[in-house]
Amino acid sequence: MIAPFTDSSIIVAGIVGIGFGFALERAGLGSAPKLAGQFTLTDFTVFKVMFTAIVVAMLGAFWASRLGLLDLARVYVPETFLAPQLIGGAVFGVGFALAGLCPGTSCVSAATGRGDGLAVVLGFLAGVAGTAALLPMLQSFYLSTPRGTLLLPDVLGVPYGVVVLAVAAVAGAGFAVAERIEAHAARRRA
Amino acid sequence: MRARVIAAAIAALLAIGAAFAGSPEPHAGSKAKIRALADEIEHESDHVTALELAEWIRQRRPDLRVIDVRADSEYAAYHIPTAERIPLTTLATANFDPRSTVVLYSEGGAHAAQGWVLLRTAGVRNVFFLRGGILDWMDDVMNPVVSSDLTRYFGGTARTGAVPLPGGATQVVARMRRRSC
Amino acid sequence: MSTAARAHGAHAYASPYVAGAGLGVVLLASYVLAGRGIGATGAFAVVAANTMNAASPAIVQSNAWLAERATGPILRDWLVVEVIGVVIGGFISAALAGRLRLGVDRGPRLGIAARVAIAALGGAVMGFGAVFARGCTSGQALTGGALLSAGSWLFVLGAFGAGYLTMFFARRAWT
Repeated sequence: MIAPFTDSSIIVAGIVGIGFGFALERAGLGSAPKLAGQFTLTDFTVFKVMFTAIVVAMLGAFWASRLGLLDLARVYVPETFLAPQLIGGAVFGVGFALAGLCPGTSCVSAATGRGDGLAVVLGFLAGVAGTAALLPMLQSFYLSTPRGTLLLPDVLGVPYGVVVLAVAAVAGAGFAVAERIEAHAARRRA
Repeated sequence: MRARVIAAAIAALLAIGAAFAGSPEPHAGSKAKIRALADEIEHESDHVTALELAEWIRQRRPDLRVIDVRADSEYAAYHIPTAERIPLTTLATANFDPRSTVVLYSEGGAHAAQGWVLLRTAGVRNVFFLRGGILDWMDDVMNPVVSSDLTRYFGGTARTGAVPLPGGATQVVARMRRRSC
Repeated sequence: MSTAARAHGAHAYASPYVAGAGLGVVLLASYVLAGRGIGATGAFAVVAANTMNAASPAIVQSNAWLAERATGPILRDWLVVEVIGVVIGGFISAALAGRLRLGVDRGPRLGIAARVAIAALGGAVMGFGAVFARGCTSGQALTGGALLSAGSWLFVLGAFGAGYLTMFFARRAWT
């Protein structure tokens, strides 16, 4: 039997969560000023953590599938809704820059004793609840431009593995640029 | 610093290798591929039920393609609405847009299930077969014991004995009720 | 990390690449062991739906989105348990590193009240966006991104584009 083992117990959820929260805090992403530094272009930790994680998981999933160890078709891929995800993403980004924390990191921040983290957690909860209550009125936008499970290789018309290489290349280039910018900022501070 | 360089080198190798490999699916014909297909079958991600297909058709999903693999005459007598006819021999060489969802059906499901294996081996990703074939379609959608809104949508009626088919092909139905391949 | 913080005995942060790699391994483990990735928004959605259901069932019953998320006990939801794990994991890491501290992190120009208010506002705005985007940075950018989902990458573009634009106008909150 190959992975995923979808009838695995909910304990996996807890363990995954612990690993997630631990890794975030290790990198300092439980501290809002550090995350905000990504948007002020002084601290690229958010970019480095996110894209390293994406590249590792992406390469791991590709090769595990290729070697017959993981059935990618049974791994849940979020469905695509073009307009709501682009615009919802933009709105999310506004809130992210203001708060300096995203929902996941706000939990970490709150867990380490930060009151601003707790404020983001509660604000996010209220925002989700309020939006949900308004959803019937915004339903046509919410359901607009559905594309089902749509992967970049299909959109771009290139093989899956080529997109994998492209993402890894963009990440690598991004890391090089980030190091340059951070070094420059450090020299200016000194 | 050394560790970082080594890690980057490994990642680069894996990424370049992925580009050359192309698809994340195991190489066609390899043991891994066969195991992967068997796994999909076991996890029932290879088929849909008549009711699921009926719902997809009713939703007018733009990516949906329903394929009838039976003989011309059977297709002409009755076919699931929106279905196209493609025989198994042509199926293997047919080109499907990777964004489309392909659903194969036959009379009882066996030929469609075999077509599923052919298409999956050929690399088509989103393909299913209709479990129970057109017989289940009749039983569950067109002429179920208890009528549903799906039945009404497709113009069927609940089971009272007689089965009115569009075009009045009751003879076809009489033959079809005898479950075969 | 500030010199004041280091003076308190707090350890330096781990390399973002190492932490990121660890996070990537956790994400991959989630794909392999559970057939799904990580997330956060869904957990908040379940809590919101159940809370609203307890307070006023009428609102939930007439709202398909809420009703879907108000079924069953909260603690049986995969994402809720996962987010509880995030809290625990964050706590453990901070405890080990001497970074547990009651306080309010903020930019040099903001007082505590202003910071808390803006944080809550930012959270609410993120909540609005996350409902339409079907997730946040965890569920969309990380999980969907690594699986090459087109919508997830659109989310990344939208979020970071808007984030940089916002910071251009709001930088005094942080600098």
